[in-house]
Parts: sequence; C-alpha cells; structure tokens
Amino acid sequence: MGFADHFPALIVIVLFFAAFFSPLLFRWAEKFSAPFVTAALAAALVMTVTLLVKVQQTGTVLYHMGGWPPPWGIEFKADPLRLYILLIVISVSLWIFVYAVGDLKHELKKEVIGWYYTLYALLVGSMAGMALTNDLFNLFVLMEICAISACAIISIKEDRECFEASFKYLILSAMGTGCFLLGVAMLYMATGYLNYSLLQVELAEALTLYPRNIFAAAALFIVAFGIKAALFPLHVWLPDAHASAPSSSSAMLSGLVIKIYAFTLFLIFYQVFPRELLEIVPLNEIILWLASLGTMFGSIYAMLQTDLKKMLAYSSIGQIGYIFMGIGFNQDLALVGSFYHIMVHAVTKAMLFMVAGVIIYSTGVRQIKDLAGIGRVLPITMLAFTIGSASMIGIPGTGGLISKWYLALGALEIGRPFFVLVILASSLLNAIYYMPIVVNAFMHQEDFKFKAKPVPRFMLVSLVIGMIFIVISGIFSKPVITLLEKSITVLF
Amino acid sequence: MRITSRLVTPFIQVYGIYVILHGHLSPGGGFSGGAIFGASLILIALSFNLEAGVKQISHQTASILESGGVLGFLLTGLVAIIFGGNYLANQAAGFPIGQAGELFSAGAILIITVFVGIKVASTIVTLFYNIIEGEK
Amino acid sequence: MEVLNGIIENYYYMVAIILFVIGMYTMLTHSNMIKKIIAMNIMDTSVFLLFVAIGYSDGGQAPIIKEGAETIYVNPLPGALILTGIVVAVSVTAYALSLVVKIYRYYGTCDYDEICEIRSQE
Repeated sequence: MGFADHFPALIVIVLFFAAFFSPLLFRWAEKFSAPFVTAALAAALVMTVTLLVKVQQTGTVLYHMGGWPPPWGIEFKADPLRLYILLIVISVSLWIFVYAVGDLKHELKKEVIGWYYTLYALLVGSMAGMALTNDLFNLFVLMEICAISACAIISIKEDRECFEASFKYLILSAMGTGCFLLGVAMLYMATGYLNYSLLQVELAEALTLYPRNIFAAAALFIVAFGIKAALFPLHVWLPDAHASAPSSSSAMLSGLVIKIYAFTLFLIFYQVFPRELLEIVPLNEIILWLASLGTMFGSIYAMLQTDLKKMLAYSSIGQIGYIFMGIGFNQDLALVGSFYHIMVHAVTKAMLFMVAGVIIYSTGVRQIKDLAGIGRVLPITMLAFTIGSASMIGIPGTGGLISKWYLALGALEIGRPFFVLVILASSLLNAIYYMPIVVNAFMHQEDFKFKAKPVPRFMLVSLVIGMIFIVISGIFSKPVITLLEKSITVLF
Repeated sequence: MRITSRLVTPFIQVYGIYVILHGHLSPGGGFSGGAIFGASLILIALSFNLEAGVKQISHQTASILESGGVLGFLLTGLVAIIFGGNYLANQAAGFPIGQAGELFSAGAILIITVFVGIKVASTIVTLFYNIIEGEK
Repeated sequence: MEVLNGIIENYYYMVAIILFVIGMYTMLTHSNMIKKIIAMNIMDTSVFLLFVAIGYSDGGQAPIIKEGAETIYVNPLPGALILTGIVVAVSVTAYALSLVVKIYRYYGTCDYDEICEIRSQE
C-alpha cells in the first residue's frame, strides 16, 4: 500500500495532531503555533484534493481503521459527494483561520489563544471525520467532539452572554445527541450493525420485521439533526450562540457547523435508510414543510433585529431552510441546488460575519441603525457586504442564484409550483432586510458618526477572496454542478 | 482522614497502574485505570489542600501530559502506517504478538492503553483543578 | 394481552425509555442548571442501559479469551461502545459544570429564571 492510500484517515489525524500539538507549541514557541495549524489545514486540503482526483478516476475509496473490516471495525468512505463537502469544510476553515489569527488578538485574552487553535483544529477535524465516517457510533463520538468544541469556541470569550449562550447550546445539543444515540440503539437492536452500507441492506429486511423500531429511529434522527442544524422550530439556541461568539467563531459555526449536520442527515436518509422507508413514512414531506416555514420565519425574525450579528444569525436559519428543502423535495435537481447552496452559503455567511467582525473591530458599532454612512469610511468592507447580501438574495451573477434556480427547477420537476413561490417570497424577504443596510451605508446624506480605526490588510485580503469566490461561483458554476449531478443521480 | 488517605493513595495508584497494564487480559483498561489513578491525585488535593495536590502534579504538567497522551496515541497509530498496515493496525504492522494470557501479548494495544491511561488521569486532574480554580 | 406480554418480557427496554423521557422532561422544564445537567446524565445513562441490555446474554462472561475454556460471552461491542459513550458523557458534564461555575460567578445563582429576571432589570 502506498502512502496515498491512507489519506482518508490521515486527513482527520493531521487535524487532531495539530489540535493537541498547538498548545504545546504555544507554550514553548509561541510564534510557530498559528503557522503550524495553518500548515496542517493546508496539508489536509492538499490531501482532500488528491483524494478527490483519485476518487473520480477509480471510484469510491473505503478505508478500514486498524485493518478490521466493517462489522467490527470503523470504516471511512470517500465518495465524490463526501469529498465535495470535505473540500468545502477544509478550504473554508483554512480561509477563516487566516482571518481568525489576526482578529483574535483583539477579541481574546492572550493566554487562551493557544487553546483556541486547539479547539478550532478539533472542530475542523471532527467535521472532516463526520463527512468521511461510515459508522453510526463513530459519527456519534465525532458529533460530541464537534458539539463540545463548538460550545467552547463560543465560551472562550469570557463574557457572560457567551457563557449563557454556550450553556444553552450545550444542553440542547446534548439532547440532540441523546436522541441520536437512542435512534442508533434502535437500529442496532433491529439489525446488529452500525455500518451505513451494511445497515442499508439489512434494514430493508428489518423494515417488515420491526417497523416500529425503525420509525422511532427515523423520528429521533430528525429531531436530533433538526436541533443540531437549527431546522426551524428547533433553532432557539442559534441566534444567541452565533451572535455572542467571537466573529471568527460565528463565521465557522454559521458557515460550516450547521451545514455538516444537514449533510449527515442527508447521508442517513440516502445511505442508511432503505428507499422503501421514505415511501411508507412521509419524512421528506415533514422536512419540506419545516424547511419552508424556516425560510420564511428566519427572514421575518431577521427583519426585527437591531443587532447586526443577530440579524446574520437569524438569516442563517432561513438559509439552512433552503438546504433542507433539497432533502425535502427528494429529487435530484433540487438536491444539486441544496448542495450548491451549502458551498455558496458557507462562503457568503462566513464572509458576512467577517464583515461584522471588521466593523466591530474598526468602529465598535453593532447596531444596524448606526451603520448609516459607513460605506464612505470602510468602502471595501461594505462592498463585501453588498456582494454577500446580493448572493443571499440571489441576484444574477452571484452563487445564490444558481442554487435557488436548481431548487426551483426541482420543485417544478415534481410538479409542486407552490414551493417556487415560497423560494421567491423568501428571497424577497431577504432583500427587505439586507438592502436597506446597503443603501443606508452608501447613500446616506450625513457622515458616519463614529471614529474608525484603519483595518489591517489581512482582514481586507480575506474579504476580497470571499468576494471573488462568490462572483466566480455565480458565473462559472458548470464544473461543480456536473460533479454534483453525476454523484447525486447515482442515488436515485 | 489525612492519615488514611496518605496510607491508601499508594495502593490506589498501584492498582490503577495494574488495571491499565492488564487492560487486554482482564476487564479494565486505559480509561478505568486512568480514572483510578487520577482519582488518587484528586484525593490528595481534597484531603490535604490544593497546594499539596499541586505539589504532586502541577496544573501545567497535567495539561502537557494531556496533550502528550493523545499525541502518543496518534503516533502509535502512525507507526502502523509506516510499517505498511492501515491506521492503528496491530498484528499486520508487525507489532510482536505474544502468547494469549501473558502481559506482553497484544502488541500495540498495551502501548495504546498506557497512553490512554496517561491522558485520562491527567485530564481528570486538569478538570478538577479548572473547576476548583474557577470558584476563586 | 400480547402487548402486555411483550412489555413484561422486554421490561429493561421499558425502563430505559422511561428513564429517557424523565431525563428529557427534566431537562426541558426545570430552570435550575444543575438539575438540567443531572437530567442530561440520566438521559445518557438510559441509552447506555438500553445498549448494554441489547448485548447481554444469559450466563455470559466478560469476553476475554482464556486457554481451553469454551464459555458463552456477552456481546463485547455494546460494552465497548458504552465505554466510549460514558467518556463522552463525562466530558460533556465536566464542561457544562465548569460553565455553570462561571455563570454562577456573574449572577450568584444557578437558576435560569432568576438570571432572566436579573438581566431584564438591567
């Protein structure tokens, strides 16, 4: 076996290694600590890209931990769809990390920065593991690592709002994992397997023998991932948590963490549950309605907010609705749309939170009404905000349009034009709360009232990278769409 | 109270090490043994005072050991890759497998449990210190 | 009658589910944070109980191979999983407790309702 065969495991291991090595480095050789984590993330990125190229040539790669085959050992699976998500997770987190290294100096105490790197690398590592693992119990462990490190990068700010938000998040997500574990126990009772592929074969049979177990498991999974991914009625923890955290953590949590849970639910629906289950129980229908309500209510709540970061957090609830809609339609074009939206929204929302971070750093303003006239003081930052909001609304030329376009196509394909209206209406609502900020920032007559510090160059560079990416994703979407179409049609 | 804990501590620690080392032969292993060992250190800190506990193992040492334990675990796994097995492979990577029932009979498992033991013991101690110091 | 027999035969599943619901109810309705954490532990433990019950076989022994002795072993996999689960639960509990300590330092109370009152007065 060559070295390259171990990449599925090594991606996760490199990140965990970085996580536990960086506090030691921070103690003894402080200035190498951040470059070390960056290097680890970059190494993981290189490995992911190599793996993606290899998987496209030779097909799905399976990796057995410790050489034990599935019923006993943990299996990692690398198929194009998972690697696509992995690529998003690692590249976006590398991008956020570059921003975070500079920004954290202003937001956190110096002693805890080393631990922040640890938590950050753990978070990325656990998300990478969640995207790759093919074993339900391993998924549970990684989910808990992800939940704890996500809570910890909120509470590391040592601010009482952060503690409360993080406690709320921890309790609700512990409930989510409790439900998930009970669901796993139900499936294990019915089949005796924990491996996705084995379960799918075995569950088709078990469905006739123990239907109640499997229905209960399906319900528990929807609740568990609904809480974790902030599906509409279960979103209560999200606004506090995302708004009070340091900006780089908010970018990470809003951009990636909720998406990975949506993706895991997708995997469980399409790679664990047999197709017959979705025909017997209208799971898709439930998710579809919750997602549509989410897109509307998330936007309506966002309009009522006065705090910029809270508004962005509520907008995330609306946007995660689009991603769940794809699962709800249960149709390949819509799923292409929602997968494209995972990428677009990860970049856009991360960038918008960075903009919020830059504004807070430079002027200390958090209230939306105080932003009037800021466009003349911080032109590049507000340009980034404009492009980000354009993508959120779905204006042509940005990535947001492509994903909504495919979702709408999917809705028409299965003959439900009503949901096209839902998508249009929620886009309109997005426009109602994003556009006034942009207009106020640039067109306002009076000058900006607050003093503005000059913005460091690295912050602007990361914003510019985001802007370029959003525009590119809106114009040259063909290669990604082809990849997604090819790998999603296999599932049907 | 103090005398009892002073008397009992070495036995608890020896028992903890025994549980760690015999993890692959009898019920127990890195986690349970590490928890026993860590508990003995907490016992000292509780029955005397925090300073006495810190003298046994300081907060910094504990957190260094904590990182070290995980790194050791990860590196043991990597050794397997170098010798041509999958990650965390045991026999396939050429770790010596002895007779079943002897102390050195499970190759890499022993090394791994030792690292897990170190990790768990130091984690329990750091958790304890953190909560105690948080109250001040 | 059939349902009743099913319940009596599988009473440990019932116990696990009842514990799970107790935990969930307490977690959602009580405003005291420490109680919430205890409820979280009850909830986790109930699932562990269910797992262990699945893996148990009558007269089984700990699954360690001894020379020449052929005995029934209990299924080792749930045991291994539960051990991992317990470690995870311990770490979540420890983290939650340390958060409560910090919150207590700011507000002087562990009760969520009282905290909300204090915040609304500011």
